[in-house]
Amino acid sequence: MQSQVRIRRWPWVAIALSLAVAFTLSMISPADSVQGDLVRIMYVHVPAAWLAYTAFFVTFVGSVAYLVTKNLRWDRIAAASAEIGVYFTGLALSLGMIWAKPTWGVWWTWDARLTFTFIMFFVYLGYLALRRTTDDPIARASRSSVLGILGAIQIPLVHFSVLWWRTLHQPPSLIRPDGPAIQDSLMLAALIVGVLAFTIVYVALMVKRIELIHLEEKRLAVEQSIRRPVAGEAVTAPELGAS
Amino acid sequence: MTTGFWHQVRAVIDRDLLRERRQGDMLWITIPFGAIALLLIPLAIGTDAVLLREIGPGMYWVIVMLFGVLVAVSRASRETLPQQDASALLGLDPAAGFVGRTASSAVFLLIFEVVVGVVAVGLYDISLIGIGWLVTTMLLVAIGLALLGTLTAAIVNSSTAGAALVPLLVAPLSVPLLLGATQTYDGLQGGYSILSWVLLMVAVVLVVSIIGVLTARPLQET
Repeated sequence: MQSQVRIRRWPWVAIALSLAVAFTLSMISPADSVQGDLVRIMYVHVPAAWLAYTAFFVTFVGSVAYLVTKNLRWDRIAAASAEIGVYFTGLALSLGMIWAKPTWGVWWTWDARLTFTFIMFFVYLGYLALRRTTDDPIARASRSSVLGILGAIQIPLVHFSVLWWRTLHQPPSLIRPDGPAIQDSLMLAALIVGVLAFTIVYVALMVKRIELIHLEEKRLAVEQSIRRPVAGEAVTAPELGAS
Repeated sequence: MTTGFWHQVRAVIDRDLLRERRQGDMLWITIPFGAIALLLIPLAIGTDAVLLREIGPGMYWVIVMLFGVLVAVSRASRETLPQQDASALLGLDPAAGFVGRTASSAVFLLIFEVVVGVVAVGLYDISLIGIGWLVTTMLLVAIGLALLGTLTAAIVNSSTAGAALVPLLVAPLSVPLLLGATQTYDGLQGGYSILSWVLLMVAVVLVVSIIGVLTARPLQET
């Protein structure tokens, strides 16, 4: 019983600890010479964007694995990851807009990175919508797996858009051929810790969401096994000649 | 139906073209609607000839994309479950069905592109420099949209939202095609290299073709 309680609680403890460390580091890191304290948005914006890629990549892997193995466990992983990915894509977009207003002067600009991220957001919203409209778990898993593979085309387009097109958005901050763009070691450490903290948040949310999907499936199975009265069942046909 | 793969593809194309000839949805509804859309844009943004010449190609491709979605929607709502079951019982290879449906959709979309393209050239005075590459672009966009439409129609097949879900899935996925088409036109006008944009469209066509063929059977089985 004790171990069960620990299993239930560890995701929340991990989330709280990792976010606390990341928050502290982002607050003690120096302000940017040009942007000032505005740069602190980066410590949430970049990890959120990183998590969106990671989540959608996991959806892609889960989708391929489901189609190969037909094991519903992979479908649960793909679905949970897509939900988390959509949330963090929305967060990255919102924070990006908040950051853009004081630095670029506009909430939104038709920049390749921004536009492709927005499109990726809609692709995975479509993925979630598709899951909601299919009741049969096997059909839902097969169909959404195909879309999970198809949607993954967007991930490299979003990531490399800043390299393929001349855009207002800065190039990648961490994953670059010539090393990270950030020179200050404390700022770099805060960013890396932020990315790690968000990754822990992702893993913890995945564990809880997969548990929840599993419980939802069990509940659905129980509901379907219970015989429910059919509408109009109580109405009996009139008999001819009855008094 | 025990014929070879390409015979089955041919049979599906013939069936779809025959159905279109009998119903005429594409010829009498979709193409005129696309032409009307091109006519409405200048009424909304102004009739300045220079402005229209500048935005005309982009508007044309947006309309092609949106109406490509419409073709996919009509396809998704056209094939009923009993029809699909009958095809499966006749031994139709799911991959052949996918290729055949894609090919017939591509033919419809190419006809749509040509007719609406003529209207766009007339209304917006669009330049036709590099006509060979423009035709190649039209062909790639028609095949790409047909692939995406056929695949998403198979994905939403018999779900409760059905055809209503198709636009939400096809429109964002077709953005690389729209981008490739508009940038190819700009490159031809500006005299810069268009190879990367053509390759982008070819890559989309190849990737979606592979996904469509490989997943045709699991999608049919559901």
